[in-house]
Amino acid sequence: MERLSRPQALAFAAAAAATCALTAATASWAYHTRFVANNCNTNPPQFTSYFTRDGSITVALYAQREGYQWAGGCWNDNDVDDSPGDPTSDPNTGGEGPDCSGFAFKVWRESLNESDAGAYQWNKLRNVHGPYTAARFKTGDGAPNVTYGKTGLIRMDALASSTHIGLIYTANADGTDQIVEAKGEAYGTGVWTRAYRGESSYGGVRRLGWDA
Amino acid sequence: MRRVTSRTIMCGAAGVLAGLVTAVGVVALTQVAAAHGVTSADRDPAGLIEAAHLPPLLTVKGEPAVLRYDIYCAPPGGDPESGAPCDAGGTVYVRAGDSGPFRAVPLLLDTTASEGRYRADIPADIAGSHDGFSYYAVLRSNTSGAVSVVPAGGAAAPQRSRPLGEPALVQLGDHAFGAPARAAARVASAAWGSGDADVGLEPGPGLQPIGGSSFDVGETGTVSLLDEANHRVLRFSPGASKPVPVRVDVRGTMADLAVGSGGEMTILETVGDDGTTPLVRRFDAAGRLLGSLHLAERSASALELGPAGPVALEYPAAQWMPVAETAAGNASAGQRARGRAGRTLANGDELVVQRAGNEARIAQVGPRGVKRSWRIQSSTPLGEIQLANALGDKVVVVLRVYTDARDEFLVLLLGEKGLVTRFAIDSAGWAETAPLARFRLRGTALYALGSTPAGVFVDRYDMEVG
Repeated sequence: MERLSRPQALAFAAAAAATCALTAATASWAYHTRFVANNCNTNPPQFTSYFTRDGSITVALYAQREGYQWAGGCWNDNDVDDSPGDPTSDPNTGGEGPDCSGFAFKVWRESLNESDAGAYQWNKLRNVHGPYTAARFKTGDGAPNVTYGKTGLIRMDALASSTHIGLIYTANADGTDQIVEAKGEAYGTGVWTRAYRGESSYGGVRRLGWDA
Repeated sequence: MRRVTSRTIMCGAAGVLAGLVTAVGVVALTQVAAAHGVTSADRDPAGLIEAAHLPPLLTVKGEPAVLRYDIYCAPPGGDPESGAPCDAGGTVYVRAGDSGPFRAVPLLLDTTASEGRYRADIPADIAGSHDGFSYYAVLRSNTSGAVSVVPAGGAAAPQRSRPLGEPALVQLGDHAFGAPARAAARVASAAWGSGDADVGLEPGPGLQPIGGSSFDVGETGTVSLLDEANHRVLRFSPGASKPVPVRVDVRGTMADLAVGSGGEMTILETVGDDGTTPLVRRFDAAGRLLGSLHLAERSASALELGPAGPVALEYPAAQWMPVAETAAGNASAGQRARGRAGRTLANGDELVVQRAGNEARIAQVGPRGVKRSWRIQSSTPLGEIQLANALGDKVVVVLRVYTDARDEFLVLLLGEKGLVTRFAIDSAGWAETAPLARFRLRGTALYALGSTPAGVFVDRYDMEVG
């Protein structure tokens, strides 16, 4: 077999590498857009007559270390972001995780019907975002939600700005709060210390109807 | 220039074909995996056990001697997302002062409480101890048997509650918003962007602006501004026309920064990689990585350079823990075993802070207990205590005052008998920073990190301590 000259071998290798890289990039996008398609469902929620702050925090904690997806609302519980590095400007990549308002909606067990203040269990793998943005939560939109003075907020109340909402997990001794939130693509979902309570861009929001 | 022959072109085409074959194989394997929803297995939901607790670090006479916890674990019944509370319990181990045997106090469910639903009543003889008490809790899921210890150091590093003793009282009254002090100088500023002298904003359409998330100031007045979005630190030397960028290998997410006397940088990443705890990275002055260390706890809110090295305020322990005391670092057990409620001052004393409603409590604690303390009471709600640090024989405290519509920072200089002086600073918090990274005290100068839609800046305020 005749050997290729050096330029020919280089051309072969370069073309192969470039093609492989381009196609692999396509594969990466395809992977990122398939988490919801392959793992999530559209099952109806289950009405629950009894719901507690304890129980909702537990639901929130199961989302720790999972991903973040703009406009998303589906995650598993393997402590891994299964769709890392999704482009932050595309809400349709179908990646794992909620966004901040989708997380609040689901943990707060709200209804897609904004006039319904009842409590509904959405399983973690149910892909749902709900009708509210952070800005709408901030203004207390929807029957279950009211604005609330920030000094009186307790666990599972929320602090919301026009672009973000986080749920209070507990207060810290130095006056900050630990917030459970879906923070962003590079952060995922978790519990972090924040100073939202004192910041004027944030307002207090309470979900009504807790049994305990 | 070499001549391109038809044979070279054919080789290129063959290369494309080979690349396609290889890549299609990769794609096929990836998509087969994705089509079957292959992800790593869910963790066992029954293993969840977490606890929230607000430690009464500083107490005053007459307050109830009760410790309260919330416990989160898988509820009974097999559906971890049912929304029902978990069936939990536990024991608090408490003792007077810092030594002697711990006494076991059972945690009882208080169904009337909306938070802090598990309570332990401290025995009167311990609660009334002149030196306060130390304690830790062992919390348990009665459904799964999962156990959590808070703080995680347990008996080796229990939480510490101290009586304020005879504090100096500071009455702030109603805060008058809109009259902030003027800075003595703007010592650093940068526009948002990615140019050599800019500071970047983290990407994300739904994300509140985040950028320039921390800073520090050296003894000569050099300001180091963490530009995490551009993976660098901007170093502003006094009198220089523009900053010097120093690249550092960081994640690009919110972080805290502390700079040593030789320019070495310690960076606390508040986000860990998948499934891991936050990371502390140490760099030399040129940005070369010297080492890294995972924190023992789930999260951390602040980083400081203590007399013995960097310390981080870690949660859920709610303790300052050493994070790099030796060249080999300080593994989780070592961090947890040396957790403390307050920051260690240069003279070895501890400075402990607590906000309780509209009151801030500050105590300087020596080997024999509280040396001096302050109760700062405000008619305007108090937010976080951003800074508390010794300045000569005085203490500087920066805390936030807020209403539902406004906020400012309030700087207090405290002396033995109470308030020496005070002034307000505009909150200037357009972009989010690390939660406790807005102020640094160097010598008699207080430096404040702020931002607007145009960019980020550091202002200097000179404290009048005479």
